[in-house]
Amino acid sequence: MQGKAHIYINGTACISPQRTFDGFALNDPVNYTSNVLTCVTPDFKAYLPAAQLRRLGRMLRVGLTTSIICLRNSGVTAPDGIITATGYGFLEDTERFLREIIERKERQLTPTHFMQGTYNALAGIVGLSLHCTGYNNTYVSKGYALGSALDDAIIQIRDAAELNLLVGAYDEAVSVQYKSVARDGHFKKEQIDSLKLFEHQTQGSLQGEGAAFFLLSGIQTAQTICRLTGHYGLFQPSADELKNELESFLSSHNTSLAELDLWIAGFSGDVDRDQNLRALAEGTLSSIPQARFKHLTGEYCTADGFALWLGANIVKSQSVPASIMTPPSRTPGRIKKVLIVNHYLDRNYNFFLLDRPKS
Amino acid sequence: MSKSGRVFITGYGIITSIGKNAEENLQSLVDQRHGYGDIDILKTAHSHDLRCCEIKITDEELRRLSGGTGSGLTRTTLLGLTALREAVHHAGLSAQDLTKSGLLSSTTTGGIREFEHDFFNILDLERHGDFEQFADTAIPGDHSERLASQVGIHNYVATLSTACSSAANAIMQGAALIRSGRLECALCGGSEALSKFTINGFNALMILDNEHCRPFDATRRGLNLGEGAAYLVLESEARVERLKKKPLAVLAGAGNANDAYHPTASSPDGTGALKAMRLALSHGGVDAADVNYVNAHGTATENNDLSEGTGLKRLFADNLPPFNSTKPYTGHTLAAAGSIEAVYSILALQHGMVWPSLNFNTPIPELGIRPVTKLERNMSIRNVLSNSFGFGGNTSSLLISAV
Repeated sequence: MQGKAHIYINGTACISPQRTFDGFALNDPVNYTSNVLTCVTPDFKAYLPAAQLRRLGRMLRVGLTTSIICLRNSGVTAPDGIITATGYGFLEDTERFLREIIERKERQLTPTHFMQGTYNALAGIVGLSLHCTGYNNTYVSKGYALGSALDDAIIQIRDAAELNLLVGAYDEAVSVQYKSVARDGHFKKEQIDSLKLFEHQTQGSLQGEGAAFFLLSGIQTAQTICRLTGHYGLFQPSADELKNELESFLSSHNTSLAELDLWIAGFSGDVDRDQNLRALAEGTLSSIPQARFKHLTGEYCTADGFALWLGANIVKSQSVPASIMTPPSRTPGRIKKVLIVNHYLDRNYNFFLLDRPKS
Repeated sequence: MSKSGRVFITGYGIITSIGKNAEENLQSLVDQRHGYGDIDILKTAHSHDLRCCEIKITDEELRRLSGGTGSGLTRTTLLGLTALREAVHHAGLSAQDLTKSGLLSSTTTGGIREFEHDFFNILDLERHGDFEQFADTAIPGDHSERLASQVGIHNYVATLSTACSSAANAIMQGAALIRSGRLECALCGGSEALSKFTINGFNALMILDNEHCRPFDATRRGLNLGEGAAYLVLESEARVERLKKKPLAVLAGAGNANDAYHPTASSPDGTGALKAMRLALSHGGVDAADVNYVNAHGTATENNDLSEGTGLKRLFADNLPPFNSTKPYTGHTLAAAGSIEAVYSILALQHGMVWPSLNFNTPIPELGIRPVTKLERNMSIRNVLSNSFGFGGNTSSLLISAV
């Protein structure tokens, strides 16, 4: 996608299974032993009015709070548009409504869980609470959801640099999702310590969740975290395609391998499904310092939201948490360019390139 | 929009309760034949009291019709595949074209129909059987990836879900990806199968009419649900010129806004509707006075028609062009409505016809506006606005113009 304007990330926020809502530390990561990683949440009362807090389901609270923190960090009070991304949406509400339908034999139902289970419920509620009548869209493209949302935002900002677009991604780790995918071997059968995910070279990953929001604009501000130089998504690539497309992605953004200071790899811990990524790690990207993150978050459709938040804040802070480096000793000093390569179930691949802007 | 950046519509495919392809849909519209009736194929307690516009084709027949192969094909996927194949054929896309194309498809509930049918089996990991193919097909992104795999689309796959405006947003974003240079060809639309989930959800919201719906009528009491799918083939001007293709229409503009009024209701002053239509017109560089026909969202809920009608009056003042709602024919097909009605808008443009809005008698007192009530032929139609609004305050409008 060519165009003149640079894309700046001018605010970020993340609520995840680690304590990420109030900063970027990750020095003392939480270990999970249940194979399910759920969010460490702030006191919602500090962010949401009591009436809203009562009404909203858990993930809507998480999502809405993340959007509020992101806006505060960006210094933008009234974004021009809102774009959200999710794989499974508000599955807990969907399941509740389904149970009610079956148990009450389709009679005397209340619409609360139906409404809150709608995929665009968060985008609607964020729009409503900000009185934002601008652009509003929601992508539900499994592992491409956030990538699709960013493509949308990037195209708009390249046409109109002054836009401030709020882009967010969320997915929740609930039992119904676990059971939907367990038969396909998405999750490990043996119980493990989440922090030792990559030591278990077996089938399946860990179930995770999280929400991440970003304020994107074509204008650099005092709050600017980094530049989002590019995004590219691939559908079920072969190992060769992945390698070739990565090389052409980098060259289309005038970036050589030698310029990459760090790459964040979306290894899921699934020995089979990580094969293509492993080939990249052992081949094209073997000389670039590597970070991983799914031992901190578990696997979910929009886990790339965590990776993007992580990458952006690494560029901003010029520091890399030791808990993500593989191996730990290879922490880079100066960080100008960060590449993210994520995959979901070896079907949805995304590249993101982040740059430190000229100040 | 600059002339060199035009996005052309070069094909379409559609399946609704009034026809399994574009030709059948057109004939039904001309004959004023609707699809409203008892629910026979979906098993629900509401088969007689909450009648819908159901497609009277079983899943097995849809599989044959669509040429779908393999397991895990939900009714949403099968409906989508039927329409998508017609669109591919209509635009004359080769296997090589498809590999390099993108698919942007929308749905509000994906394969929830199969999920609710096998709910307790799926949730019990000890149980095994045929139902397992539908264990993970409720996720909306599933249908688009399967559609892409079935027809061989490889370059870009996105799924959208903004309730009842979804397919309009899929078309809008497909056009944006083409103008940005990411794609030369995008297949865009939506698919939606009836389910107990949606019937009971809308019933709980008390916005279903237990009689045939009456858009823009003073006595309207709610909507009827429907099912269906439709896709447009969008191609860049450069590609169309290079291949000397003859486009059917231009996707001249699109607008997306939000009402920001209520989670499931539209504002009484039509803020979002007006904003979306104005954006579509300014995007396409077309004056309101040059719009020849509006395919309204017109769900026949008290709230939508008042809000949309107010938006129409504010935009067009005393020069309201002929408008109708085709919801009485097809029912409200939710995430597919935007693309189904985009196909009807192109048919109107191609054939110079506007179909009567069924069941209209008395104007809404606050508005006094009247939709088209008899078949209009030999009209000169150059610009059509097609509206799609949804929960979450989402409002979108497409401007489709003659080449």
